[in-house]
Amino acid sequence: MVIALKALSKNKFKTTLIFISMVISIMAIFLISAIADGVVGMYSAMLKTDGDIVVTQKGVADTFFSDINRSIGQSIAKIQGVKSISSLVLGAAPVNKLPIVGIYGVSQNRFNSYKLKSGHYPKAGEVLLGYKIYQTLNQPSFVNISKKIFRVSGTFESKIGFEDGGVVMNIDEAGDIFHKNASILLVSVKNIQDGLSITKKINAISNEIEAKTADSFIDSYNQFKIIKTSSDVISILALTMGVIGIVSMMSMVVNDRKAEFGIMRSIGLSSWGIINELLIETIIIAIVAYIVAFGASELVLDLIKQVDKFQGYINGEITFALALKVGIVSLLMALLGAFMPAIYASRIDPMSLIQRGES
Amino acid sequence: MTIEANDLEHYYGTELILKGISLSIKSDSFTVIVGESGSGKTTLLSVLSTLLRPTSGSIRYDDKNIYNIDNIDIFRRNSIGFVFQFHYLISYLSLRENISLAVLDKYKHSVDPLMNQLGISHLTKRYSDEVSGGERQRAAIARALINRPKIVFADEPTGNLDTKNAIGVYELFRQFRNEGIGFVVASHDKKILEYADCIIEMEDGHVKQITQR
Ligand SMILES: Nc1ncnc2c1ncn2[C@@H]1O[C@H](COP(=O)(O)OP(=O)(O)OP(=O)(O)O)[C@@H](O)[C@H]1O
Ligand SMILES: [Mg+2]
Repeated sequence: MVIALKALSKNKFKTTLIFISMVISIMAIFLISAIADGVVGMYSAMLKTDGDIVVTQKGVADTFFSDINRSIGQSIAKIQGVKSISSLVLGAAPVNKLPIVGIYGVSQNRFNSYKLKSGHYPKAGEVLLGYKIYQTLNQPSFVNISKKIFRVSGTFESKIGFEDGGVVMNIDEAGDIFHKNASILLVSVKNIQDGLSITKKINAISNEIEAKTADSFIDSYNQFKIIKTSSDVISILALTMGVIGIVSMMSMVVNDRKAEFGIMRSIGLSSWGIINELLIETIIIAIVAYIVAFGASELVLDLIKQVDKFQGYINGEITFALALKVGIVSLLMALLGAFMPAIYASRIDPMSLIQRGES
Repeated sequence: MTIEANDLEHYYGTELILKGISLSIKSDSFTVIVGESGSGKTTLLSVLSTLLRPTSGSIRYDDKNIYNIDNIDIFRRNSIGFVFQFHYLISYLSLRENISLAVLDKYKHSVDPLMNQLGISHLTKRYSDEVSGGERQRAAIARALINRPKIVFADEPTGNLDTKNAIGVYELFRQFRNEGIGFVVASHDKKILEYADCIIEMEDGHVKQITQR
């Protein structure tokens, strides 16, 4: 360990390069995963608010394109174990100067899931603004949504970025804007164990709709799959770039230090000892790079949250699970990157290492 | 211990450098290898000392064929010491750390006495670029001796030293030879011949003559 640290500080320049390439790779993985998880997490949280079961139009995978008739709710309400049903129109439209804003047309019984900060819940011709968008639009008294003017009835606060940067209104008025009766129904049940059986009963009511438990809806939701796959692909690319960076830098380091390894072999340090030595050095860099990348990523995510342009829709958070996952990936990156050059260094006849140069 | 080389041949690329060398070296003696530059002294020394695998031929340490030794690293650590023309101390480690790099547990306590014996005990925390050439070479010798090997190979160990320092090194070798450690030294220096028990003369990849004293 002492030797590894001394060796690293001797080779400052290359150590720094390896360090930087690792920090960048690890940050890339942190950011893309956190942001992807954030989008998925926010949307999931939104659906799961009073929604144990999600009902959509059958065969329409996207909540935005789903179109159902909310009268079906009356039949669902009769199923035993159903606690409440709320209907939503989900859409996106320009609001004043902002080109795309999430619009939530909700049934009356869902209003209380939005925590009022000022004013009252919207009546006809009124909208409730998320606090973030309220600020972004400079605290307007009226807003223009799809060429219609609405009075601002008040503001609400939400941890979910999509809501905090969104607009809530009565479902009928949202239905007029988006030309539909409802996008989805959210059913909450008295007893969560009954979720699956109630889901089956709902599906039996009509073949124009499709009900899923919130969890399985989220698991199978196409948009989420696309986001997750993209983030995984980018993470793997970042990992690969990191590994390649380490391999090439470590190869140079090994080349620079050939004589040194030759000497070590000649005085009886084993091949494994040398491999070990190089791995320890790389792992030390990886650990420091991980810590720095973690801090830097937190900082960047924090900055992104404050950028008005993103309207709070990009809201990544580094969870413990993500930190752990990336930690493991970082170690893997270090080991994969250092292993080949280390094996190479340990294989050569000590004498041919030594003859190359003077230590 | 006896080191037996049998019909050693070594090529660098297509060039035959060792041309069928057979010899036997006693591990309690002071053997000197002489010969013109390019005659193959370094190559022979590397092959004898297990650091370089010859193209063909065999080497036995007593009755052990060294290519059949399972763990050559451990064998080297226990039985063989090396001193090179360039000290080859690791520059980012102190002299003491260099000497201790491969020390066996049972000799850990002898690092300081040995440094004392070699007259470098005041330099334990210094780095190789902070001491004189003679001191560096003595540190390298200490590193070679620390595990009490049976035999030490030295390639031009005094090539970069002045006469006074060179003689100091030979005296040290003789002193440890008397303690039972054998030395095989390749050298251009005539002075060393006074210390030799056995002189191997190399010429163009052959052994020209072996003189026992
Ligand atoms: N790694 C190598 N690759 C190719 N040829 C080599 C290599 N090492 C040595 N040789 C050649 O092998 C021959 C013997 O070299 P060696 O170093 O054994 O000679 P030497 O007797 O030790 O010379 P010196 O007294 O100058 O140290 C030389 O002709 C040299 O050019
Ligand atoms: Mg030589």
